[in-house]
Amino acid sequence: MTRSRAVALTTLAAIFVACTTGILSASSAPFGAPHPAALPMPGVMGWIFAEQAAFYRSLSTFIRAAKEDGAAMWELFGISFMYGVFHAVGPGHGKAVISSYLVANEETWRRGVVLSFVSAAIQSVVAIIVVAIAAVLLGATAKAIGLTVHLVEVTSYVLVVLIGLRLVYVKGRGFLIACRELTEHRPPDLAFASAPAAKSLSATTFRMSERPPGAMAMRGGQCQVEECTAHAHAFLCHDDHEHHESAWGHAHGPEPAALAGAGGWRRGLAAVVAVGLRPCSGAIIVLIFALAQDLFWTGVGATLIMGLGTAATVAVIATIAASAREVAGRIAKTRAGPGMLAMRAIEVGAAALIVVLGALLLAGYMASEQLWMFTG
Amino acid sequence: MTRRTCCYCAILLLSLSVSRAQAHPHVWVTFHSEILYAADGIMTGIRHAWTFDDMFSAYALQGISHAKKGQYTREELASLAQTNVDSLKEYDYFTYARADGKKLKFADPSDYWLEYKNAVLTLHFTLPLKAPAAAKAMQIEIYDPSIFVDFEFAKDKPVSLSGAPQCLATYDLPHQPTPAEQARLGQLDSVPLDPSSTYGEIFANKILVKCP
Repeated sequence: MTRSRAVALTTLAAIFVACTTGILSASSAPFGAPHPAALPMPGVMGWIFAEQAAFYRSLSTFIRAAKEDGAAMWELFGISFMYGVFHAVGPGHGKAVISSYLVANEETWRRGVVLSFVSAAIQSVVAIIVVAIAAVLLGATAKAIGLTVHLVEVTSYVLVVLIGLRLVYVKGRGFLIACRELTEHRPPDLAFASAPAAKSLSATTFRMSERPPGAMAMRGGQCQVEECTAHAHAFLCHDDHEHHESAWGHAHGPEPAALAGAGGWRRGLAAVVAVGLRPCSGAIIVLIFALAQDLFWTGVGATLIMGLGTAATVAVIATIAASAREVAGRIAKTRAGPGMLAMRAIEVGAAALIVVLGALLLAGYMASEQLWMFTG
Repeated sequence: MTRRTCCYCAILLLSLSVSRAQAHPHVWVTFHSEILYAADGIMTGIRHAWTFDDMFSAYALQGISHAKKGQYTREELASLAQTNVDSLKEYDYFTYARADGKKLKFADPSDYWLEYKNAVLTLHFTLPLKAPAAAKAMQIEIYDPSIFVDFEFAKDKPVSLSGAPQCLATYDLPHQPTPAEQARLGQLDSVPLDPSSTYGEIFANKILVKCP
């Protein structure tokens, strides 16, 4: 038992350390990140950094080449993909937010992959729409485009904060409930009275009424809110039923069926839309450069493929985050009450992290790319 | 189980340390700088010529009306030049000067214009010192602490002196970090710098003017 506990603690520590270093390093980047061109950083990092810069700079060469020779377009697309892959390793692109979201929401890695791709696709499409409307149709200046991007950015960050706050609220309650469960030491016969019934049914609200009245009075109020009735966070109430019997009635959150439900996807989509709204400055510049070469559609192709590359990187990181959480969950399962509590704590932590990330982005401390340094 | 967990932890930590934030420059500038001296050997300012990369040049030119396709006159670019210098104020023109170690302040730029040649924009501007200064060792650094903009000395004669024949100008590329600096870099995550820190300067493009 002590061993599994140690492992659980290590995992939890790892997740938190990883997440916090993510924030810290992002905010300290302006001071810490060395001069890119002149400072060959050691190891993988430096290599990735140099590669992405090289790919970005060669984009213009290939766009020019595509003007002369249509076949160069394929090379351009290849470079765009690679640039996307390397570029997404840097800050931005919602890696941290998506990963935190997956951890907080007990999402599966499969869903993480899908969400990563959707958010990258939205990001590309937003860049294309902004340039198509502002530059192609309206002939707006860089200043106006920069301003538009900034407005979209702020909207995106506000949405991230809101989604985070909602998660903190939902998960915070889950944590408090788990806390109470642990301290209450309810008589076992009472617990078993409700457990088999709960198990045999799918997780829905009305099961509350099958509870002993005492339990109802205590927990019913907490659960009879919109999450339950909307099935969106059915697992919250679900937990509420199930840890009477084992303290960890299920492996990881909601039943797969509940996840696949419309509510589940909608909730995931809200998060990726919030993250993906913010277009990548690189894509905007590439699109406008292509437009200036009368190759707007080639630019559109390159942008979409860039997004594909970005998605690949984000998906890998999201998968790792979701897997780590799953493993932590499995370990926690062996530790009955405290393990459950720890998992709830992780969820609250991850949800809080989304709020912090969103707030930092909003406050401009983590701005990863700025278009207005020269153009207002 | 234990092993698998450790494996996951390792991968997670590795991936997140790899994702340690690195800004991505989207603007590349190669620059020439001329250090201006008055007749009495006092430094009065710096004349910069910053050439942007082709993609950023195209971006900046978006929506600027011009009479002839592929050509922009200085007049057509005047409003963009104005926007450039106005925006740069917030970033201290990415130019930091010290006279014998003492920080100097710059006034608003004068005499600025944009030039469009070979599909790239060059921003010319003169940055006058608020108070002209004399020093045995004048140190000028050009860099973006947030590295959103990548500054690089131009290949041919990037630094020149105007009106100070007795002085000697040398320039230094950002150096390889020493082991101590390397170690400090590695700790930035756990021991962040305070905002007033000038640590980023070690990665700056340095110009040194020595006068007798």
